[in-house]
Parts: sequence; structure tokens; C-alpha cells
Amino acid sequence: MAAENIQNKVAAYLAARIPSARDLTLADWVQTAVGYSHVIYVFDAAWSENGRPMRRGFCLRLDSGTSLLRDLSSLEEQFRVLKALEPTPVPAPKAYWFEPDPSLLGGPFLVMERIAGEAVNPWSRAGKQFYAAAAQRGKLPRSFVEALAALHNLDWRAAGLDFLGVPAPGRDFALREIAKWERLIAESHHQPEPVLTEVIQWLKSNAPQAQRLAFVHAAYRTGNLMINDDAISAIIDWELQVIGDPMYDVAYVLSDLNREGSPLLSCVVERDFFIDYYQKLTGLTIDFEACRYYQILYMMRTAAFWISASGLFAEGRSRDLRLARTTFSVPVVLDMAARALGF
Amino acid sequence: MIPPRQLLNAIVDSLRTVIGPAISEPYPKSQAFMAAVILEFVARQIDDDRAAADPAHATIAALFAELARIPECRSFATDHPDADAAQLCALIERLYAARDALGPETFATANNAVRAALRRLLDQDLKVARSEG
Repeated sequence: MAAENIQNKVAAYLAARIPSARDLTLADWVQTAVGYSHVIYVFDAAWSENGRPMRRGFCLRLDSGTSLLRDLSSLEEQFRVLKALEPTPVPAPKAYWFEPDPSLLGGPFLVMERIAGEAVNPWSRAGKQFYAAAAQRGKLPRSFVEALAALHNLDWRAAGLDFLGVPAPGRDFALREIAKWERLIAESHHQPEPVLTEVIQWLKSNAPQAQRLAFVHAAYRTGNLMINDDAISAIIDWELQVIGDPMYDVAYVLSDLNREGSPLLSCVVERDFFIDYYQKLTGLTIDFEACRYYQILYMMRTAAFWISASGLFAEGRSRDLRLARTTFSVPVVLDMAARALGF
Repeated sequence: MIPPRQLLNAIVDSLRTVIGPAISEPYPKSQAFMAAVILEFVARQIDDDRAAADPAHATIAALFAELARIPECRSFATDHPDADAAQLCALIERLYAARDALGPETFATANNAVRAALRRLLDQDLKVARSEG
């Protein structure tokens, strides 16, 4: 669909959703280049309301039909999660509307507020420099831990998030996660991958007991956090959240997967500070053995993600060459998992 | 006919020095440069595939033969000269399913043999995947 055509349709949609708006127009329309999962547009809408000029920033996520992870999450679920988080201390974008009708833009879409700030990419040279400087200033590392603690301290039942599914006590959470990612692998019709099979079997045989259940983002890292004035203005990319073991998020923060050689966790926070401040804010004691297990699970997840991505390209469902590139990342992450398991 | 490696190198060079720089739109520009990266991988795959095919097959066959010599594993790891990656996946799953019946020592022996073979297979894949230009 041509950009101008989409903009016209979005303008008409917003005008219908804001009945008091007159002469609604869109401005500063940008399709962001980042992200594999949804087509993302950010823009301003300007209109007149009772003679007063109004202007508001929006972000629209569109399911193009070939989104990565679209079978694991849905925009409707994201909408429900964001709505549930709205009255809580968890920093998240305000969700306005979910539109299931694919006839409007070619797929379901979600409209939410455009958050002030930027999700600085930690993998770029500029991003690394940004986070290293922010770490020196000290405000952002604190905010990074505080936002995670807000997530884990949330009364998820009171917030109505139990619709996400509540694992049974014990090993159920880890086993459910493994099953979820195994489904993604199975749907990718990939070549047999014996190293991945060994990793999955080990994970199933060694699943830890969750000591406590919390609302878990499951991809908590820089790049998935909007930053404004050295503080987390919103946690974004609500695609994989679950009710589960909070050590799942902690493991990801502690992981080497997120820092590409930086001595700082997630390129922004010192390890000792993170551990001390997180434990102080949550009252939890970090279970390093469980974290080691979940880090291997994240490696399996990453392999599954790359297999799914390259599968989309191989099946001709996407022509994005970034997806083809990911097939060469699978052995690298499997090597990390194998080394973690001692071979 | 131009050898494949040489042809791919030429395309990579063209993408990097001619096509990519000439594109002003960020998305198609990034696609052109990403195509160059991928073609370099493909060139190395072409170089390695013929050499890699036989060692991978031999590694899996040798593993099956090794496991077939462990009495407790013989029933599900018969000496299989044509074993492939799919059969190795199935073997790994069967070993874990029989873990309790095998006992810790036998399982560890079999699992160590599997992991040694997996390391050899992985190292072969990494020759291509780790040599990004």
C-alpha cells in the first residue's frame, strides 16, 4: 500500500475515533526502519476541537501478515496488556485503539501514544557511546533497574494480567516457555539441527522451580526501552510478556547476549550495582543458578528466532534480506549454548 | 564460465561500490549492502559445502557406531552408515527419554559421545558463520 494511501486511511480512522476533531491532518509521518515484528509508523495528528488547535503524537503497529513472532503474540494481546498497565507504576505507552479488521490497512493494527524519547539501538557505535556516557552520569542505570523492579513488583492479578496464563507451581513456567519456542521452530520447517535438539532436551531435563511468579517482560534490555532525559520513559516491544519467574528477566539482563563485549549489563548498568539495587527494590534474592539456566533458554530462543526469521525468507513470505542474513547467526548462538553446557 | 566464487565477489564489489552508494533511500540502500554481506557468506558456503558434506556424514555415522557398542544403547542406536542429521536428532530425543532407564553413568557416556560429535558438526558450520567479512 502506498504511503500516501496509508496516511489517508489512518487520518480517516483517527477522525472517526475522535468525533470532536475537525480538519484532522497527519504530519511528520515516519515508517521506522527498526524491528522485525511489525510495521511501525510514528506521526503527529493535528486537529481543531471546539475552535482550539490540538496536536498529539501517535505510534501505529501494523501486523503485515509476515511478522516474526506473530504466532507467539498478537497485537490484540499487546493492546490488552498496555491497557492493564495504564493505571500501574510500570512505564508503558498508553494504548488508544486496537483494530482487528484487516480490510482497513491490510492487517490488524494497534494505535498508541508516541512516547517522548528514543529507543537508542545499543548495537550501533553511536548507541554504545550513548549508553557508556549515560552510565557515567548515573541516572539511566538507576532508572533501568527501577523500571524492571516496577514490573516485578506489580500485582499482576490485581492489574488483570492473569489472562496471559498462569503457570502451575514448580517447573511449569520453564516447560511452557520451552514448548512455546519449540512450536515456533516446528512451524519454521527448518533443516534438522542436532545441536538445538540437544540444547532443548537438556533444558527440558533441567527446568528449575520458579520461586515466585511475576509479570515478566521476557525481552528486557536496552533497545526495548524508550529513554528520555536519561530515564526510562516507557518499556516497549510488548510481544513476549508472560506471567513467570522474575529470574527470567534478571537472567536476560545478566546475559552476555545483550552487551556485545561491553563490560556493562545491557551496555548501561554495572553488574554489582544492578544486583544490589534490584534486590533492594524487589526484596528478591537473585538465584544465579536459575539465571544460568534461563540464559541457555534465551540462547535457544534466539536460535529459534533466527530459524523462524530465515524460514520466512526461505519460504518466500518475506523478501527482506535481513532475514536471510540471520541463517548465519544460528550456529553462532548454538555455539554459545553448547559452550554454556560444556561442549 | 566465470567460477562461482569469482562471480559472487564481483557482485559483492558492485553492490558495495556502485549500487549501494547510488541509492539514497535508507531502506533499499541497507538492503543492497546486506545483499553484499550475504553473498560473501554464500561464496564461503560454496567453497565449504563439498568439503563439509563428507565429514558431517562420517561424524554422524561414527557416532552411531560408537553408541551401538554400548550395550544399553544398542536398541536405539544401531550401527547406521547412512545416518543423517534428522536421525541424530531422533537419537538425542530417545537418549533423553531413556535417561532414567539408562542410569546416570551410561547416559553420561552416551551423552558425552553425542556432544563430542555435535561439537565437530558445529565447528564445521562455524567455519562459514564466523568468517563474516
